[in-house]
Amino acid sequence: MLRPFEIHEPTSIAEASRLLADHGEDAAVYAGGTELILVMKEGLAHFRHLVDIKTIPGLETIAYDGAVLRLGALATHRAIERSAVVGRHAPLLASVASQVANPRVRNVGTLGGNLCFAEPHSDLGTLCVAWDAVIVLARDGEERSVPADRFFTGVLETVREPDEVLVRVELRPFGPGTGGAYQRFAMHERPTAGVAAVVATRGGVIQHGRIAIGSVGPMPVRASEAEAMLAGAPLRDEALREAAKAVGRHAEVMDDLYGSAAYKRHVLTVLAARALREAVACAREEDA
Amino acid sequence: MSGVVGTAMRRVDAAEKATGAARFTGDLALPGLLCGKVLRSPFPHARLVRVDTSAAERMPGVRAVLTGGDLADLDPYYGHAIKDRPIVALERVRFIGEPVAAVAADDEAAAEEALRAITVEYEELPAVTVLGEALAAGAPRVHEGPLRPGLFHGLGDLRREEGNICYHYHFARGDLESAFAASDVVVEGEYTFPAVYQYAMEPHTVIAQWGESEITVWASCQHPYLVRAELADLFRVPLSAVRVIVPYVGGGFGSKSYTKMEPLTVALARKARRPVRIANSIEEAMVTTRRHNMRCWMRTGATRDGAVVARQCRIWLDTGAYADNGPRVAATAGDAAPGAYRWRAVGVDAWAVYTHTPPAGSYRAFGAAHMAWIGESQIDALARRVGLDPLEFRRRNLLRPGEEVRPGGKPLDADLVGDVTKVAAAVGWGTPKPPFVGRGVGVGLLAAGAQPVSTAVLRLQADGTVVLLVSTTELGQGARTAFTQIVADELGVPPSRVRVAGADTQVTPFDRSTGASRSTTLAGTAVQRASADLRGQLLEIAKRVWGLPLSALTVRDGAVWHETDALPFPELLARHFGMVGGELIGRGEVRPERGSGSYAEGPVFWEVCVGGAEVHVSPETGQIRVRRLASVADVGKAINPQLVEAQDEGASLQGLGNTLFEEMIFENGQLMNGSLLDYHVPTTADLPDAFHTIIVENGDGPGPYGAKGVGEGALAAVPAAIVNALADLGLEIRDLPVTPERVLRCLGVLGAPAGTGGAAP
Repeated sequence: MLRPFEIHEPTSIAEASRLLADHGEDAAVYAGGTELILVMKEGLAHFRHLVDIKTIPGLETIAYDGAVLRLGALATHRAIERSAVVGRHAPLLASVASQVANPRVRNVGTLGGNLCFAEPHSDLGTLCVAWDAVIVLARDGEERSVPADRFFTGVLETVREPDEVLVRVELRPFGPGTGGAYQRFAMHERPTAGVAAVVATRGGVIQHGRIAIGSVGPMPVRASEAEAMLAGAPLRDEALREAAKAVGRHAEVMDDLYGSAAYKRHVLTVLAARALREAVACAREEDA
Repeated sequence: MSGVVGTAMRRVDAAEKATGAARFTGDLALPGLLCGKVLRSPFPHARLVRVDTSAAERMPGVRAVLTGGDLADLDPYYGHAIKDRPIVALERVRFIGEPVAAVAADDEAAAEEALRAITVEYEELPAVTVLGEALAAGAPRVHEGPLRPGLFHGLGDLRREEGNICYHYHFARGDLESAFAASDVVVEGEYTFPAVYQYAMEPHTVIAQWGESEITVWASCQHPYLVRAELADLFRVPLSAVRVIVPYVGGGFGSKSYTKMEPLTVALARKARRPVRIANSIEEAMVTTRRHNMRCWMRTGATRDGAVVARQCRIWLDTGAYADNGPRVAATAGDAAPGAYRWRAVGVDAWAVYTHTPPAGSYRAFGAAHMAWIGESQIDALARRVGLDPLEFRRRNLLRPGEEVRPGGKPLDADLVGDVTKVAAAVGWGTPKPPFVGRGVGVGLLAAGAQPVSTAVLRLQADGTVVLLVSTTELGQGARTAFTQIVADELGVPPSRVRVAGADTQVTPFDRSTGASRSTTLAGTAVQRASADLRGQLLEIAKRVWGLPLSALTVRDGAVWHETDALPFPELLARHFGMVGGELIGRGEVRPERGSGSYAEGPVFWEVCVGGAEVHVSPETGQIRVRRLASVADVGKAINPQLVEAQDEGASLQGLGNTLFEEMIFENGQLMNGSLLDYHVPTTADLPDAFHTIIVENGDGPGPYGAKGVGEGALAAVPAAIVNALADLGLEIRDLPVTPERVLRCLGVLGAPAGTGGAAP
């Protein structure tokens, strides 16, 4: 059961940041609570102070300014899935948001919470790394931007300082000739493996591709060997296939209850091939 | 007859359950009710050096802290099969999760804080946490000393074998060696079956009250009368001084059979002198009981022209730290091992083995679910070896109705050839198959009914309504609805005038248990007989009133009739008692109709386990998609076809989970996936693309209108059908669950199969 805790309801980032600083390790940011309350109920963590950032106005806003899509930290998976703005400018994000966990989690779980909790099986974390998303952290009066692939540092660990609040995620919609995809394989509540790919093409050549793998290690990471193989490669299935093999071959994966490292490498290869093909197909549509 | 038997009448508890009005044990409130919480062992095997509860006892809101030291005045061991389990750990702990102490406090928070304040000093001891270790020569013993039979062991003589074996079941017929010598083809293999969690939505919940003259227990239990007997024995009071009340139960599946959390809750209430509730969390339920993991070696022989000859089988079932129902599971697995075939010789040994893991007990279709897929995969292998279609091979070899299944037992009471032909057709047998699609069927028998003892009482009230007293527990299976239908038809009253009381040992009469697919068949017969008794009394009164012979009278529409004259039930009662009031009481009982009613002379009926599956295997990921799943509910007579379907579908889906992904993973006795986040219980997302229940009504059961039980068979049939569908694709499955990784290993994609077999210790 939940042990007693105090809940704080700040109305500004500055106030939230101060509360977090004051209570240090005794405090946690509380957004959707779908992960936090679970671990607290299980007794795996206990915080005597929860700083509820849902009382800070404006943190759920989703907006596009003609260049950048800005998703407030409190945007729920359901809100992202159903947002007309996201649907128009980043349909892949809407699609992945619609697959997160289960309906109850999607209704209250937030993008910011998902990323900050840094559960290694996060679909959205993997997608953000491949998409080159920018994560904006704030404390009293100052903001800093962190590229998604430098945000995660380990299992349940990120670069966020204890008194920082993730305020928004910034994404650039795919331009002409660029496409993206996310593929995962799940037998249990959490995926066994996930692969996100964003591929930019021009005139029958792959300009560059970004690939991220998730669920198989402590955090989502880029498949740099495979990315190097894609850069400048001809836009043919063989190139995608070889890059997919490199994803599996070079991935750092852990054995766990649900599969051996060998199996996960195999599945990563399969998923990477599917994701790359789908990204390329999507790029062709964007081109057309 | 009002004609509701055989119809899909709406469940009598539908509205209550849909609106949340239905009351389960956890919903009950009593004045002064305390919250009980349990401190559990973190070690698989350790000596309790010191349990210091002094700090916990001083905490605010704490009313009692129970440890083994509080049980000195009792013989504190229970276990319906073997009395091997202390109410709370005494000098040692034997599994991770074993209760070491329990706290009763004013609220949950105080109870949890108190648990944290208890200090326990353990001295770790060498543990045996897997079958191989437990069976090794010189292995540490889980239990020392002789085995004491429990109140309901029903197992003949208890004989202690060496080491950690708590029960050995053996039978042999015919000359095995010469039969195998006469076999042209023999298939042989080693197999494993995982530990599985039964998952009832309501975890075990008990409220106990220790009164001056009576122990009262409200429990989410399946078998109130057996719980009552064990509590009376433990706490040294007469049976009549223990009252077990069972409100609605939120699913059992065997996890609430026999005695689970009741003794601990009563002992805590005894110490607190206040009513106490202990409600397991899901995580605690998972270490309270589980399905036995198993290793098995089997060989089967046949002639080259396609006749089965001989089967031999050795089965090791991991019953965990306490026997629970392990001996019965071993015997039932042994009985299921031969399958439904005509053997020249058969030899079976099944052992229940202690290990330092959470105790294993009943789970829907135990024994048959363990064994049918193994035997049936060998039948398919033999069919392929002799060049026969597996369905044709079965038609030639399956037992026919009336044939002996085992000497001295009930002959076969079902048309298995008809059943398997139906499921095969339902999965497209013989039609062209797309790539990576395979089809299989499975046939098995499950010894059902447990012991044939049930009683029922029917009370006719002054207004013509009736109250049925029967101790079958309503677990979601629909027993109250089926009984309502039987009473309504037998008495000629509308179902709305029938009320079925919840089980209460002070009020509702004895029933052996709710499990083993027995309630409609056995308690249902008692209900039918109670109705007939009441009907007979009403006719007698009408005969007296009218002075007419019985042959001139009929019962329908809530009245006794002579031609167009009617005497409604209320008027009959008034005439009988000379006032408005009084009641008539009908009684019905079921007891063994031949022999002693022992398991050996049973079963009450053979529950049919027949299924078919069509699967698709992804050669890329190894994922199995079940395209079509069919099972037979061979029920003799479907009292309520919708409930029959629901029972069969539930068992099928659990069978699918047991086959494809369910597994409790232990490392050194620690459950590694001990929550619903990590343990995948089948959900609607796991449903097959198409799902068929084929209801077969041949009127060949021993229950009312020729009915026999349902609800377990599909759980044994589905694994067999899926495993054989995979065999159809060339995948030889030796280990469940068939995870995608195992599929890929079988396909050779990831190298040689790993972790296969290894059954011979």
